[in-house]
Amino acid sequence: MKKLLTAILCCVAGVSAAHAHAFLDHADPRVGSTLKAPPTEIKIWFTERLILPFSDIKLADATGQPITTTNKHLDPANSELLIVAVPPLKPGKYTVSWRVTAVDTHVTHGTFPFTVSP
Amino acid sequence: MAHGFEGDRFFPPTIATDDPFAVDELSVPTVQVFRNPSAPSGMTTRETDLGGEFDKEILPGWDLEFSDAFTVLQPKGGTTTDGWQNFSLGTKYELLQSPGHEFILSLGADWDIGGTGGRSIGAASFSTFTPTLFFGKGFGDLPDPVPMLKPLAITGEVGESLPTEAADPNALQCGIAVEYSLIYLEQHVKDTGMSDPFRNMVPLVEIVMNSPENRGGGQTTGTVNPGVLWESRYFQLGAEAVIPINSHSGPNVGFLFNVNIFIDDIWPKIFGHPLIGGGEALPSTPTSGK
Repeated sequence: MKKLLTAILCCVAGVSAAHAHAFLDHADPRVGSTLKAPPTEIKIWFTERLILPFSDIKLADATGQPITTTNKHLDPANSELLIVAVPPLKPGKYTVSWRVTAVDTHVTHGTFPFTVSP
Repeated sequence: MAHGFEGDRFFPPTIATDDPFAVDELSVPTVQVFRNPSAPSGMTTRETDLGGEFDKEILPGWDLEFSDAFTVLQPKGGTTTDGWQNFSLGTKYELLQSPGHEFILSLGADWDIGGTGGRSIGAASFSTFTPTLFFGKGFGDLPDPVPMLKPLAITGEVGESLPTEAADPNALQCGIAVEYSLIYLEQHVKDTGMSDPFRNMVPLVEIVMNSPENRGGGQTTGTVNPGVLWESRYFQLGAEAVIPINSHSGPNVGFLFNVNIFIDDIWPKIFGHPLIGGGEALPSTPTSGK
């Protein structure tokens, strides 16, 4: 139904191929989750393909202190999936901040928390 | 940006009230059906409005807005009449923004141009100016112990309608929308595993009030509109019940349906940035990722 409505509206608008803003679809660690073991990577699946040089994921601890992330890359098989590696994390609350540019060049950003339990 | 963002918050375009963002929007159609006790015929009348609005950001944070509606009046036992409402030209300027607190304050004005609509459906022969203050506030900055309240947001407007002739009273016009964004919940607070279409919905209640202030304008009228908005990549669908707050506002519950097309996503090179001074949508420098 969703695809049908989209197709109808796009046809009405005379659009054959368009792109939209990139929003978070889901993430690993999941938004607001509590983990028993610290993650080694942060993965975010977006709703649109991304431009890697203009997209990033950052991490901060409960005090707002930035934690260095490395190896930023798009999944080779899925350019909607942005991945960064994170160092070993101590138990505590963390905030992920993402800022990405979709292939239509629109920029979106957002944050979400996760917790590593003791 | 054509979507209304403030910090992490996406404020969806509301239906019965105007949102505080001066952005590119195409809202067509808006269909409203209700029974109107104060139609020109004096009889209880079923009114159907088919409306549309186009907003274009001219300078950063400042837009022009164009709207009109086609009205069909069906008096009980009478003859059906139809025609255009007066054409409306509006503008809005974003005065104050605080992304960290998901807050925005805007100032706008609307000019309902007299004589441009049909007399048969009661369109006024004179103009009405309505300066209006708009606001929006998301509650994502609430403390962590109350995470499930963070998806709440309110938007609202307070305006004063000033007709250019004394045939109509001045009136205080107020509107508020209380929203609970399941999108915000899933993307920024807690991934509950909610499935489509619910994870892209924003349940809301809009309240619209009109209080005449002079010239025997009568009692306050208004409606309470519970409903839901559903977001997709290229458009938003919205539906609301229209519940009169008193007998002067209407004898029955009506309904409201709206399609809002995200023209910035369909035509990103044309829309989604100001006509003047917007620059390129792409950031000037890459992010600092490793």
